[in-house]
Amino acid sequence: MNVWRALIAAIVLSAAAWPQPAALPRTPHGDPNLEGIWTSASVVPLERPAELNGQEFYTPAEAAENAKRVLGISSWERLGAQAREHYNMSQYGLDLSQVKVASTLRTSLIVGPEGRVPPFTAEARQRLAERAARNRGHQFDGPENRPLQEQCLMYSTEGPPMLPSAYNSNLQIVQDARHVAIVQEMIHSTRVIPTDNSPHLAPEIRQWAGDSRGRWEGDTLVVDTTNFTDRTAFRGSTEHLHLIERFTRVDADTILYEFTAEDPHTWTRPWTAQITLARIEGPIFEFACHEGNLGIANTLSGARAAEKAAAEAARKESK
Amino acid sequence: MHARAFALLIAAAMARAQPGYPPPRDAAGKPDLSGIWQVMNTADWNLEGHAASAGNLPQLGAIGAIPPGESVVEGGTIPYLAEAAARRKQNFANRWTADPEIKCYLPGVPRATYLPYPFQIVQSQKTILFSYEYAGAARIVNMDSNKQAPIDSWMGWSNGHWEGDTLVIDVTGLNDKTWFDRAGNFHSAALRVTERYPPRGAGMLNYEATIDDPQTFSRPWKIRMILYRHEEENARLLEFKCVEFVEELLYGHLRKKTGGKP
Amino acid sequence: MKLAPCLLLLALARLEAHHSFAAEFDVNKPVKLHGTVTEMDWINPHSWIHLDVKDADGKVTSWMIEGGSPNALLRLGFNKSALPKGSEVVVAGFRAKDGSNRAVGQSVSFADGRKLFLGGSAPGSSGGEK
Repeated sequence: MNVWRALIAAIVLSAAAWPQPAALPRTPHGDPNLEGIWTSASVVPLERPAELNGQEFYTPAEAAENAKRVLGISSWERLGAQAREHYNMSQYGLDLSQVKVASTLRTSLIVGPEGRVPPFTAEARQRLAERAARNRGHQFDGPENRPLQEQCLMYSTEGPPMLPSAYNSNLQIVQDARHVAIVQEMIHSTRVIPTDNSPHLAPEIRQWAGDSRGRWEGDTLVVDTTNFTDRTAFRGSTEHLHLIERFTRVDADTILYEFTAEDPHTWTRPWTAQITLARIEGPIFEFACHEGNLGIANTLSGARAAEKAAAEAARKESK
Repeated sequence: MHARAFALLIAAAMARAQPGYPPPRDAAGKPDLSGIWQVMNTADWNLEGHAASAGNLPQLGAIGAIPPGESVVEGGTIPYLAEAAARRKQNFANRWTADPEIKCYLPGVPRATYLPYPFQIVQSQKTILFSYEYAGAARIVNMDSNKQAPIDSWMGWSNGHWEGDTLVIDVTGLNDKTWFDRAGNFHSAALRVTERYPPRGAGMLNYEATIDDPQTFSRPWKIRMILYRHEEENARLLEFKCVEFVEELLYGHLRKKTGGKP
Repeated sequence: MKLAPCLLLLALARLEAHHSFAAEFDVNKPVKLHGTVTEMDWINPHSWIHLDVKDADGKVTSWMIEGGSPNALLRLGFNKSALPKGSEVVVAGFRAKDGSNRAVGQSVSFADGRKLFLGGSAPGSSGGEK
């Protein structure tokens, strides 16, 4: 049962010393081996609950209790207000309690004493308020008014940086002599990261997923990503978003993934999150989001129908 | 017939590797196919031989025209069953609306190989990743498994193995929603593709794909072409997320009449 | 240490469906459909079950029922023959806002009472029946 596995893993993780580098698997080229299929599924939220402020880590017993509680929440409860017009997630195996969860003793993925995203800068608050005001009343006007996720352009957890998603929180890593490639299941995006510390793209080339360059620092893959577009908007960020990610294989079944996000036009200071990746059997299946995206068409069609009905009702009223 | 003779000559030329060519090898001793590759032909416009012709938008003039190309099909033409040949004609007539590439849909196999955009091979021992610049398409090739696909998908299910120095990939589980090219050449969900990537020479691979689909064709048939490695310093795939460029086409009719962009 | 469940819910990352179902389906248009499966699209971001529903006069209407991403099921060993054509199913859900013959399948089971795929019950129940 997953809860007990999580408990045991949590205890082992806290008690074990990091293995010596020589014991960790290496590729035939001598690099640390990050290959495999991994899940980032987590019972721990990105931001620390307010009542846990200052407590960065659970004890193993507390972590186990937290995991048991979270996994015991049905997806209907987790969906909250969205539950009413929703399919049954556990029928499709999409509930968190139905998959392997990567374990951690952290109380939040964001590290540090506060464990929360730093405040927005004044510039960011204004920018986001203006954006919200412009979109108010227009959320269903056209496809570009819908969230990126609904357009199948980018998933909110896809990144970089990569965050645990509600389900299908999986990725596969393949390495050759000069690249580490990451394929994320949702929505089937691929990053092929060169590990030769070569220079970034010229600044005029912006990409939704930015431009990632990597290098090995000891046993850690360090990835530097810049060149984001201004529409990527990771949690409200601008094209000046700068990410540093770190991947460290800590044992046969675990990678420690850490990212630091900085954007002086968005947050008052950089912030860092640490996410455990646990090995799973997989495989990862194709997630052809755009090809199967009936949802956006149905949503827009529904909005047009609702407008038509409202207009007709108003006409009847005025007679 | 001239076209057939030409096609045979080309096929024979393409099959010849430089004599005694020793490919660079990976740590496991296999030819190292890692790198960024691209074709230099117009196969994506039409697998069969085609002269230059007008496109669909007169205002684009020469930019919008279809360039010429010789057939990459062994034997010159694709051996359709009679009923399928009629459907292919219909596809050709409707190609400016019906081609899935217009909608930024995943291209399937083998079309992904000869799109006019590069792709990258990341070669490991148990897994080989093919990452295509177009639409972020990708496929994982399982090198140590012969599990089959539980469902059909756009990019199919790829199991690979080595035959000497040739990477051979068996692709099954392909759905029937992709085309082979922009000229309406198509297939059913019964399609099985066998690809071969024998090294040809420095910075070149031969690419051969056998198309096996008894519901559409009277016999299996092959295409052949050369893959060229990108040798630019720091060569990399760029991002071609084309979904945003087709939203107007797909959803424009559902737009509110007096809408405001965010 | 104990956390009140409601506080914990606030702390958890909000469960984000691929898109807003409230925008697509109408909670004021509940449907209960009894039909025969003609097809299942094992696709993302949402799978779709195609049903032929016969009304009292014998007229047959085709419906599409929206479900979840099939990827987890595939990992558990389900495949495209897991819901064969001709299966009789019962669907409780809500109809599309635009009035088309599409519904979200809040609960889908076989006509003989067996639950589809991994079972599970409607909102308000505490857990999943298998």
